[in-house]
Amino acid sequence: MTNWRLWLGIISTSFILFIAVFGPLFAPYEKDYVEPTGYYYNGPDDFGIHASPYPPSKEHLLGTDQWGYDILTLLLYGAKYTVFVGIGVALIRIIIGGSLGIWFGLSGREKKKTGTIFGLLGSIPTFLIIYFLLIRITINSPLFVIELILLQSFLMVVVGFPGVYAAVFSKTVELKKELYITATKALGAGKLRILWKHIFPHLKGTLLAMFVKEIILVLTLIGQLGIFNLFLGGTILRLGGPPVYISISRDWAGLIGQWRSFIYDYQWILYSPLLAFVLLLFSFYMLSRGIELKQKATLQKYPHI
Amino acid sequence: MKMALSIIGLIAFIYLLAAIPLSITIMDENLSLSIRTISDLVKNYVTGLLNGESFTYQEGKNRTYSYLQDISAYFFTSLRYLLLAGFLSVLIGMLISAWYSKSKREWVKDMIGFLGTIPDFILVIFLQLGVVFIYESTGLRLARVASRSVDENAYLLPLITLTLIPAIYLIRTLSERTYDVLSEDYILTAKAKGLKKRVIYINHVVRNILPFLKADLHKVLAIMMSNLFIVEYLFNIRGLTAMLFGGTMYQYNLIVNTLFALVFLYLMVYWSIRLLILLLERVFAHD
Repeated sequence: MTNWRLWLGIISTSFILFIAVFGPLFAPYEKDYVEPTGYYYNGPDDFGIHASPYPPSKEHLLGTDQWGYDILTLLLYGAKYTVFVGIGVALIRIIIGGSLGIWFGLSGREKKKTGTIFGLLGSIPTFLIIYFLLIRITINSPLFVIELILLQSFLMVVVGFPGVYAAVFSKTVELKKELYITATKALGAGKLRILWKHIFPHLKGTLLAMFVKEIILVLTLIGQLGIFNLFLGGTILRLGGPPVYISISRDWAGLIGQWRSFIYDYQWILYSPLLAFVLLLFSFYMLSRGIELKQKATLQKYPHI
Repeated sequence: MKMALSIIGLIAFIYLLAAIPLSITIMDENLSLSIRTISDLVKNYVTGLLNGESFTYQEGKNRTYSYLQDISAYFFTSLRYLLLAGFLSVLIGMLISAWYSKSKREWVKDMIGFLGTIPDFILVIFLQLGVVFIYESTGLRLARVASRSVDENAYLLPLITLTLIPAIYLIRTLSERTYDVLSEDYILTAKAKGLKKRVIYINHVVRNILPFLKADLHKVLAIMMSNLFIVEYLFNIRGLTAMLFGGTMYQYNLIVNTLFALVFLYLMVYWSIRLLILLLERVFAHD
């Protein structure tokens, strides 16, 4: 049976990557284009004004937001931030956590009991830690977008890699008990050789699956921060009247965050970034399912009942 | 000893974390963190503990309230949601994982798994949009989209969100465990003895799953706590987390106290679910 999930994942992920790289080229409008508000007069009985938000139409495929920005354009421009920060942060988490985990798993003792501190820290979610660190930095920040994104990515790596480390560590400790490792050791292999020739090839698949899962976790984290108005690349806060939060980079999670109150009226404004984000998660999910099933087929155990 | 150390570590962490927003300054595109501000804030808080000033908070101008008096209502609102959702998700997780581990229907697993990857905030927004959509097309008011006041809390949708996400996590991890347990030799022995499937499940499978549930509990609760923030914020529930984001002014006392209350909330929910597991052990794993 062909692994259609893997193929679906690969195809949709490449589609998303394509959009992230070349999206702005296909954008129907300039990034800052605002559809003007105006009036029309076709006769004494047929006149009125038209004002944003415009519903989806031929001119604006996904409609415009409350200020008249074309939503499709914003999505195409914002894609690169969401996608590449998600992938990049996950990759660095895996590289740091994975290499530390393998190294210390090989040299370390049996897994020590995880302390209570780790359990208690669960009461303070990761996004809250980042929230407190960034709240004064992200909103109306004097930093450049790229500086801010690097800072945010760095923090997301820091809060995330211990989890990867712990998982890889315990896997390595498990693998170390295998007979073939003992045999290689008895033959006089050094640590680096065991690591490179025996542990790493075995963990390669696991690391790949973890990588895709980490991408989903990072995207969730970005989204949660977006809900609390800390957008990737910075937030503009306009006061005077009810506070308005605007995402500078227009990343997808930020768009969801800034438009999240459109659940009663003008729902198309909220639907588009929401569906785009779900599509993003879906492609990575399919990829991870595909990898998971592929591995399961090779390392399967069978139940007795 | 280790316990004491970790508690001290946690307290220090909370003091530090709450102080960071006040001690960060950006001048001419240079980020700087003032250690002095942090130590001053902590010092003030600790001296305030003695004369009771640390247990007050301000609202607006010159209106000071006692934190200890007001917090209980917020605390119990959060506790109620978490306890209900926690119990439900553990029971649902246990029940469904037994079936899930054996099921060959990969597409159902796809669905459940994808539901599990959907983040809490997307689930919340979809539920809200769904309720509004049903109301607009049929006029049926299924559930409250948000809480309007303390007396009119939204219950159905928040509980769905709070239950579903940890339940799916449990289904996925416990079903893997169930699968492993089912391929153990003692199950083969039991089968060879001619025991019925139901008996094997009740007497051998469930009791060997429970330790894993216990070990996973911290992870499940971490997921639930993080969901609680999103749920209370998006459904406008006046729970504990509303204290963190509610005010216009950043008050160090308020934040530190609320973070401690969160840890306390976590412990209460943790031990309540441990009690539930103890009960399950009495039923399934008695000797």
